[in-house]
Amino acid sequence: MLKSYLKIGWRNLLKDKTFTALNIIGLSMAFGAAILLSMAAFFDLSFDNFHENGGHLFQVYTEQQYVEGPEAGTSQPTPFAHALKDEVPGVERISRVLEDGVLALHGENEIGIDALWVDSDFFEMFTFPVEKGSTDSFSQDLGTVVITPQAASKLFGTEDAVGETFRLLIGGEEKPFTVSAVTETQPQNTSLGFEMAIRFENNPEYLSTKEQWNAQYHEVYVQLQKAVSVAQFERNTQAFITQHYQEVIDRAKRDGAQADADGYFRSIKLLPISDIHFTNFKRGFANVVRTYPYFILGIAFLIIFIASVNFINMNMAKSASRLKEIGMRKALGARTQQLFYQFWSESFLIFTGALVIGIALSVSLLGSFKSIYRTGATLEVLLTPMTLVGGIFLVLVITVLVGGYPAILLSRFGTVQSLQGKLLTNGKNHVRNILMILQFSMAILLISGTLVFIGQIDYMRNKDLGYDKEQVISFPMNGKKDSYAALGLLRQELKGQPTIINVSAADSNLGTGRDGSQSSSAIGFDYKGRIVGTNFLVVDHQYIQTLGIQMVQGRSFESWADSTGVLINETMVKALQEKDPLSAQLDITGEFPSPVLGVVKDYHFQDLDRTIQPLTFFMSHDLALTYAYVKVAPGDMAKSFDLVAEAWSKIEPNAEFLGSYLDENMDRTFRREKETASLIASGSVIAIVLSCIGLFAMSMLVVTQRTKEIGIRKVVGAKVGTIALMLTKDFLKLVLYGFLIATPIAWWFLKQWLDNYANRISIHPGFFMAAGALVLLIAILTVGYKTIKAATQNPVKSLRTE
Amino acid sequence: MLLQLNNIFKWVQQGGKRVFLLKDINLQVEEGEFISVMGPSGSGKSTLLNVLGMLDGFDEGEYHFMDESVHSLKEKHRAELYKQYIGFVFQAYHLIDELTVYENLEMPLLYKKIKGSERKALVADMLDRFSIVGKKDLFPTQLSGGQQQLVGVARALITKPKLILADEPTGNLNSKQGEEIMELFKKLNQDGVTIIQVTHSEKNAEYGSRIIHLLDGRKVEG
Repeated sequence: MLKSYLKIGWRNLLKDKTFTALNIIGLSMAFGAAILLSMAAFFDLSFDNFHENGGHLFQVYTEQQYVEGPEAGTSQPTPFAHALKDEVPGVERISRVLEDGVLALHGENEIGIDALWVDSDFFEMFTFPVEKGSTDSFSQDLGTVVITPQAASKLFGTEDAVGETFRLLIGGEEKPFTVSAVTETQPQNTSLGFEMAIRFENNPEYLSTKEQWNAQYHEVYVQLQKAVSVAQFERNTQAFITQHYQEVIDRAKRDGAQADADGYFRSIKLLPISDIHFTNFKRGFANVVRTYPYFILGIAFLIIFIASVNFINMNMAKSASRLKEIGMRKALGARTQQLFYQFWSESFLIFTGALVIGIALSVSLLGSFKSIYRTGATLEVLLTPMTLVGGIFLVLVITVLVGGYPAILLSRFGTVQSLQGKLLTNGKNHVRNILMILQFSMAILLISGTLVFIGQIDYMRNKDLGYDKEQVISFPMNGKKDSYAALGLLRQELKGQPTIINVSAADSNLGTGRDGSQSSSAIGFDYKGRIVGTNFLVVDHQYIQTLGIQMVQGRSFESWADSTGVLINETMVKALQEKDPLSAQLDITGEFPSPVLGVVKDYHFQDLDRTIQPLTFFMSHDLALTYAYVKVAPGDMAKSFDLVAEAWSKIEPNAEFLGSYLDENMDRTFRREKETASLIASGSVIAIVLSCIGLFAMSMLVVTQRTKEIGIRKVVGAKVGTIALMLTKDFLKLVLYGFLIATPIAWWFLKQWLDNYANRISIHPGFFMAAGALVLLIAILTVGYKTIKAATQNPVKSLRTE
Repeated sequence: MLLQLNNIFKWVQQGGKRVFLLKDINLQVEEGEFISVMGPSGSGKSTLLNVLGMLDGFDEGEYHFMDESVHSLKEKHRAELYKQYIGFVFQAYHLIDELTVYENLEMPLLYKKIKGSERKALVADMLDRFSIVGKKDLFPTQLSGGQQQLVGVARALITKPKLILADEPTGNLNSKQGEEIMELFKKLNQDGVTIIQVTHSEKNAEYGSRIIHLLDGRKVEG
């Protein structure tokens, strides 16, 4: 029986090849695209899910109430971790974690390594399996490190590096280390990526801050005991806070800060490890946002939906022409149930066939997909029970819908009518229309989303940041030499070059450089009886000129002699509540008051999704500079770039030059937005193509169904234009309804998304008009082809077919 | 007695008024009869045939088929009943275009859940009997109208029905083809199959042993 069903199904497919091809191409394309998109989304969602202790691993963060509101952060002081473990019950294991690059030396090799400085429990807490050697000695011996195979082959030329000795440049001194273990290649979905794990006690900051509670610079991860709940643990930390942070709390109370909902001024909280990848603390609390992966999953779903609607609509329309067959089968004794199985197995066949093609498509495109959208997606991330069950469920539901329709139709109309076989052509097809309206609204939703995304990215890219981003190169000063000495040498090297305008340095980069790191430092100090918080930036005296930042009051740093004074930005002036900022003396370090020499115009020193924060500029030889800035003349900027690279390689022959222009750095900071935008854009292209396929097929069917009507109308004198308009009008109405549905939804979603950005475009109705117009145009072109062809046909011919 | 209709009424509502398709039909059919139903267009011939074939229901009256009360049977049992005992032949043949001659003949057997080997034997038998063995792999569209109707009759017969209902079986055929089909019916009737046919042609009606005349849903004669 099944054989017979499949046979007739197959022959039906062959009978109308255009139709079948449209159907299968559309579906396979949708499956392929949806699989790729969900791979990307599930990969993103799978971040940090591979740790065996995952359910008990947390990052510790602090929430502090200030006058301005709450502030949250993950930085902790050196003694924090051990004290927390000793004083608060429930901690199974704890580790400080500091991510910081280090220079490794082995023979002639000098290689910058991404290091994690961690405590002895680290490898028992987190699942980073070891391939060679053992992490036992790592937990006992401060002089050993754990290394990844990639880093090992970079440094030693072999992955088999257990027992190798080498040196690390720590605080300006070379110290010997031994490799105790080589890990397996790290999974890509980890937030705790490293090339080398080094014991925390080796960190240069460690000794100087061993007993200091006010120098916060690293993160802390805990593994709770199995029986301990997060809420319980968080409550238990209050005694610990009172013990160590009383002073901070008193100051907050004195300044008039409001306690939080639980009545605390400071609290210690735990963030599950699986949330870390999605968390930001920008609004003063841990804000876990999984919007992007769900956005992309949503698009995958929309694409599948659109394709399924096509499938359902096209097959429904087709089944009308098979009504006679259904009636005949019934007269021969087929039961409704059997007919249902027949149609279901048919649609199941097409659906699974398309699914197989779609999977093949996605696998073959995976390589380029990964490199274009920078994702570590693999097919494996989709092979979870949940997604498999979901996928099977989807296939079943849609095929049952498609297959069930003729069966339901039959039970409604009875055998005799279906034998006459002309039921679906009369009357309005509401199901079809509703589905097509949904389809159009989704296309409009995706297109307007793409437009707004692109608009926002464009806005961010072209926004005047308040400094010169086109002509300035920045690069990490990643060598053995002292940073001030290196800066001096750089000036020397570049002196006399006509294309080099200025050279300076600071302790953080603008945007994200090629080294991928971003940092900022903040500090709070007492000013006239209040705490004022400020970001601080250690600079060289030419920084302001090099970057072209404007002064609004006072003067800039002119030479090293100005290092007793500071510069502040306009926001800082507001934070100080000072009418005459130039008279202010800021006692930031607690050692001596520094006069404010000048006020700079606010510029975006942080990412564009943040508002501009207070900022204070220092000069101090005690604090190292980490990034050099070189301003070059406009003109042959590639040549100037090479010049700088060459100069740096003379100064630090073994260090890699990781320079880039600041506008490139800025682009990198919204890479995620760009990737999402390109995903949405490709999603909408596919959605549009699919909608077109559906539309084309439907217009094809409608035209066939109305051939006689068209013929009669022509005979009584209708013009081609009138007929084409009549046929097209019905579809255009659907587009209009789709537009009305999609616009408010798109508006709401996009508003939500844009609210994440302190600097954003406003949503203009133009975005939606453009999306609607585009869909309308495409619909007219698609439908117009078939309708005009039908309308121009000789009426004698169209009448003869009846 | 094969079947009996007692006071059958069938109507549709049109503009609040009942329009009768069948009005007070009484009919007894014995096994082995060959009945022709005649009447002008719209007189209810096809409707009567559909009611007899249980493809269509009726609104009032009783229908007994081989000791079963069809009017009180459920849809499922009715289907079982006609699947077992009734074969249909249509004016437009109603062969399934996507299936070959062989497969078209096989289809009713599939719905009767007859095993593969037996199915093969039955289909082969039928192909043989109608001398269409050479056409078994052709599709309906590759056959002439007469040949298609031949397949249609073969399909109706393959389940060995007691009753054949034929709705203008020669309506789409030329006179020679029509004559062949009528001769075939005559032979089948002689073999013991009961046949009820609807026809416009006096000549074809003559093949029958009894003629029923319908007018506006009423039985006027026979």
